[in-house]
Amino acid sequence: MADPASAFPVPGRAGGESISLENVSLRVEAPEGMTEILRDASLRVGAGELVCLLGPSGSGKTTILNLVAGLAKPTSGVVLEGDAPVSGPGPDRAVVFQDAALFPWLTLRANVEFPLKLQRLERDARAARSEELLRMVHLWRFCDRYPHQLSGGMRQRGAMARALATDPAVLLMDEPFAALDSQTREILQGEVERIWSATHKTIIFVTHNVREAVRLADRVVLMGTRPGRILHEEIIDLPRPRAANDPRVASLANGIGRRIASEVEKVAREEADDAWTGPGGRGTGDPRRHLGGGI
Amino acid sequence: MVLAILVVIWAAASKIADTPLAPGPVAVARSIAAGVRDGTIVRAFLTSAARLAVGYSLALVTGVPLGIGLARSRAVKQSLGPIVLGLSSVPSICWLPLAILWFGLSEWAIQLVVILGAALPVAVATENSVKHVPPSIERAARTMGARGARLMLTVTLPAALPGILGGAKIGWTFALRSLMAGELLFVSGGLGQLLETGRDLGDTALVLAVVVVIVALGRVSEALLFSRADRAIARRWGVESV
Repeated sequence: MADPASAFPVPGRAGGESISLENVSLRVEAPEGMTEILRDASLRVGAGELVCLLGPSGSGKTTILNLVAGLAKPTSGVVLEGDAPVSGPGPDRAVVFQDAALFPWLTLRANVEFPLKLQRLERDARAARSEELLRMVHLWRFCDRYPHQLSGGMRQRGAMARALATDPAVLLMDEPFAALDSQTREILQGEVERIWSATHKTIIFVTHNVREAVRLADRVVLMGTRPGRILHEEIIDLPRPRAANDPRVASLANGIGRRIASEVEKVAREEADDAWTGPGGRGTGDPRRHLGGGI
Repeated sequence: MVLAILVVIWAAASKIADTPLAPGPVAVARSIAAGVRDGTIVRAFLTSAARLAVGYSLALVTGVPLGIGLARSRAVKQSLGPIVLGLSSVPSICWLPLAILWFGLSEWAIQLVVILGAALPVAVATENSVKHVPPSIERAARTMGARGARLMLTVTLPAALPGILGGAKIGWTFALRSLMAGELLFVSGGLGQLLETGRDLGDTALVLAVVVVIVALGRVSEALLFSRADRAIARRWGVESV
């Protein structure tokens, strides 16, 4: 099988690889036996590159993020940051979660300063840094609010500010805007693009929204299900900054959307077959059925 | 207002009943005043309050770590979990005879009852609320480099605080109840014993006076200990999640 990363040269801007996965698989113990969450995924992300992982639920895209974050360990294969294997979570790889995960007992400002406190930064330095970050995400006015007093979009901006606090080399974003309304989502996509071009972070952005992926990414990595795996990569060679309603974004998104639709439909059809054949028909236990065809 | 009406009804009822077994509010107030003047109620109040303070503090100090252990350690859960569940269903006063056999008629005997009464609800509440801290909160903290005891103290426990506080309140009322039962059953000062004295003397007014003082102790301590914490949590978490 051809290594997808070698078939598609990395357009990393700063040069060098920031994150690489080499033949990474993850299996977990489930009640019905071992379940394969991710199969043989290889991916290289260049320093300063913005890569979107795109796929339906169960395609292992969040798993890849967790592996890179060090929150999960692969069953086989290696995850590298630069040349060093990832051995656990660290402030050089920050994560923005879907539910923002701001600490409810701390003000917005204290939330942003929390990782700086862990790094034993002095009070003055923390204050200066949190102000800078909150101004960058346009939340300075709200710095003394508690998370429950902020809207969903503001919470995600706050989470981005917190993630950037320790100046990580890599920013991992796990469907950060999935729970937001579409206007807020488009505004925040613009923010991500702006922050990315200002800070030159390596960003891995997980989404199931095709337009979001196409609008943001240098490269879209398409993922499939049963088991979760990388199907295909697509370089998005559109000029930046990209507008949310750019027709080129829309037409590229349509093409990719059709591929995903056929993948989802295939899975749905298999599930429907299971339901109709019932016991004695094609059992769900045959692992070969879960391979799926390559697209 | 409601309280005033109830007191009036109480006064009227005792007037109609006209028996020393049902003293009116005036008689009870007089009894409290007398007890304060000669120091019996004050001493009993201070004795009970001091016991509560010691026993309840020890209950928190043992209950919270026990709850953390139950939530996070398989070994602790498997070894102590059934014991904690079993003990929770026994009213703690049932341990008094055993405690007296162990420690004699001492402070330790009564403290054991108070601690057992209060620590278990605190432990159970801590276990539940630590288990229900949203995983993303702890994962976020781990990606920032928080681990081990630091993660527990600066992230998990604060996140679990609303639930732990609920358990601490239940623990407080359990401590108060256990203490009163313990003091009623053996003579060693305190409000419970004063109740018993009132019964011995057939002094209904004194018995009711002590009950009023116990109610006051419960209300005042709760206001001092918990209402501020409640307000702080409501302000931070938002009212809907408390």
